[in-house]
Parts: sequence; C-alpha cells; structure tokens
Amino acid sequence: MSAPLRLVIVTPERILLDEQVDALRFPLYDGQIGILPGRAPLVGQLGAGELKIDQGSTSRSYFIDGGFVQIKGPVVSILTHAAIPAKDLNVQTAEADLQKALHMPAHTDAEFDTKQDAQDRARRMIDLAKHK
Amino acid sequence: MANVRALRKRLKAIRNIRKITRTMELIATARFKKAMDRATQAAAYTKKIGEIAADLSHAATDFSHPLLETHPEPKHGVLLVLTSNRGLCGGYNSGVMKQTLTRLREIKEHGQTVTLEVSGKRGQTALRYQQIAIDKQFNQFEDKPAFTEINEIADRYIRLYVEKKIDWVNVAYVRFESSSRQTAVLETLLPFAGTEPKTGAGGSEVEYEFLPSPQGIIEGIVPAAFKARLFKCFLDAAVSEQIFRMVAMKGATENAGEMISELSRIANRARQAQITSELSEIIGGAEALNH
Repeated sequence: MSAPLRLVIVTPERILLDEQVDALRFPLYDGQIGILPGRAPLVGQLGAGELKIDQGSTSRSYFIDGGFVQIKGPVVSILTHAAIPAKDLNVQTAEADLQKALHMPAHTDAEFDTKQDAQDRARRMIDLAKHK
Repeated sequence: MANVRALRKRLKAIRNIRKITRTMELIATARFKKAMDRATQAAAYTKKIGEIAADLSHAATDFSHPLLETHPEPKHGVLLVLTSNRGLCGGYNSGVMKQTLTRLREIKEHGQTVTLEVSGKRGQTALRYQQIAIDKQFNQFEDKPAFTEINEIADRYIRLYVEKKIDWVNVAYVRFESSSRQTAVLETLLPFAGTEPKTGAGGSEVEYEFLPSPQGIIEGIVPAAFKARLFKCFLDAAVSEQIFRMVAMKGATENAGEMISELSRIANRARQAQITSELSEIIGGAEALNH
C-alpha cells in the first residue's frame, strides 16, 4: 500500500483544506475521475461538480467550480475558484442560477459555449444540493 | 500673557484628537493583520499556479495564448486605479494619483485613448477635481476584496483583450513589498508577462499525464494566472492602505502628544503668572491700607 493521499484545496482567497484522505472523486473537464493512493503524476483541468472525499468510513462532498488539479507523489492539489461544502448548497439559488443560464444570449459560438457551461454547472449544483 | 481658559480649551481638544488618532491606529493595526493573513493565504494559489506553469513549460514547447500576445499597434487600453475609500492615510492616495496622471499624460502624447476605471472614493474625487472623466467606478472594495467580484472584472478584461477591443491593461496601485516598504507603482497586466516559470526549481522533473493536453491546460491556466495577479493587486492595495494609515496615525498621535506637553507648559506658566500678579495686587493693596 502506498502512502496515503494528502489533499490540498486552494482557492484564490485561502487554503480551504489540507488533510489526509483515503480516496477522492471529482469531475475533470470531460468526466469523473477517481484517485487512490499511488496515482501517477497528473495535471488536469477540472469541470464543475461534486468533489467527494472519503476518509475511513465517512465521506464528505464539496461543490467545485472548475480549476486545476495537480497530483505529484501523494499530494493532490486542487486549485479552484470556489469550493462550497455540499451542506451549504441551496437548491433555490442553484435553480435561480439555472434560470439565469437558460436566459443567456447565445448568438456566437463563444456565447453558446458559455451558456452551455453555465447550464451544466447549475444542473450539477442542483443535483448535489438535492442529494446531499 | 495668554488666556489660561482658552489654552485649557485647546488642550482638551487636542487630547480628544489624540484619543481618536490612537484608536484609528489600533484599528488599522488590527485590519492590517487581517489583510496580511488574507494576502498570505492567497499567495498559496499564485504559487501553485506558477508551479503548474513551470511543469507545463517542460512539457509544452510553444507556450502561446491570446493573453500573452502583444498587439502590434496599441490604440486603446484600460487604466485601473486602486485608491482607498477613506482618507487619513498619509501619502497613500497621492502616490497612486501621481502614477495615474503621468500615465494619462503619456497616453495622450502617444495619441492613444483610454478607459479609466477607478476604485475608491478618494481617487474619484481627486480625478474629478482635475476634470478628468472616469468611465467606471467601484466603491465596494474595502479591506476585504472578494475574488468573485474581481473575477467579473478580470473576465471582462480578458474578453475585451481577446476580441482586440483593448490593447493593454494597466493598474496603478500601491504594491506591498514588505511591512516597512510599499511603493505606488504602475503595472502592465495585459499583455500578460507570463507566470515566470521558476528556474532552478529543477526538482520537479516529473513526467506528468496531462488531461486534456498541455496546450489545453495552458488555455485554462493563463487566464487563471491573470486573475490571480489582478486579485493580488487588490489584496496588496488593501494591505498597503492599512499600513499607510497605521503610520500616519502613529505620527498624528505623537504630534498630538508633543503639542499637549508644549501647551500644558504654556498654560501652567500663564496660570503661575496670573497668580503672581494677583498676589502682588493684594500685597500692594494691603500695603496701601497700612500707610
């Protein structure tokens, strides 16, 4: 068994978390990834969605909003704009975000992409808020 | 001789002012510590971004991104000025204004145009007094700038820059170098100077797996680094403001102390003189009665 993972979550405002964990699941730009101790080095772009942390028999969830992950040895660094504990999520605000995303203009390709991303983000937030 | 009562009144006023300035100094010290904590916490993010960028530079040969490109013929840009909302902080705002005005003059000489964005009431009033039009103003950034708000500003700059509607972004603010040294500077944020992959940090010769690809990561990390840099400007400005206020208020408290000792000396002299003259009048009167 390799050394246990150390998870560091960094947002632009502060270091949110720095502790030992057993396993991790989080979204990359194109789908979920699971991390266990002994993972090969990786640099990846994150998507929006649920970060699930397993510690022993308990697990916790955060909502992360894009960013990057760097895995180097046992240290997993997650750099993200915002990480919100799942229990602080609110279905109403997430629904409001979705409504806002649905009413965004989409005349150019870039605008269309932004709209799509915003919708995905809001839907995942609603999902996580409902199943916390 | 000076009027004792008037002197006493002045003394009382100065004592009150000293109380206020001392309190302000204490408040500024407390705020400085908080702002400093925030700045150190934020530094971790910038450091990590730099690390990833350094790792990338090993893997990717061409490090290119629209934000890194210099536009050939600059015509229009954005000048963001960070000042404080409140005064009584010594030369903090005037330093920033000096940088701003020099840059504005330079822009005019080169026949370019500028969108002027000012954060902080002090800078806004100073520019209005000079009759310089401000295009956009912010007042919400006190000593705790929030990343989400700066994110919005940064996104707007990135969009404008990529669409080639602006050719540069300058920021005038007070940079925090150490707790005894802060200087008003003008920095060019765009074209972005890169994240300066650290040389000598050769320990990170790790073969990474890149998802999606090195180029894909670059596309994400350059804007993130730019945002972190802009955020750092706001944090630096907040820390420096508190230091300037601390120093200014310390000086004010000391001056008030000096004035108090000087004035109380004069007041005591005046009181003594009054008593002496009263005494001599009484003695004089008594003497006159005896004869």
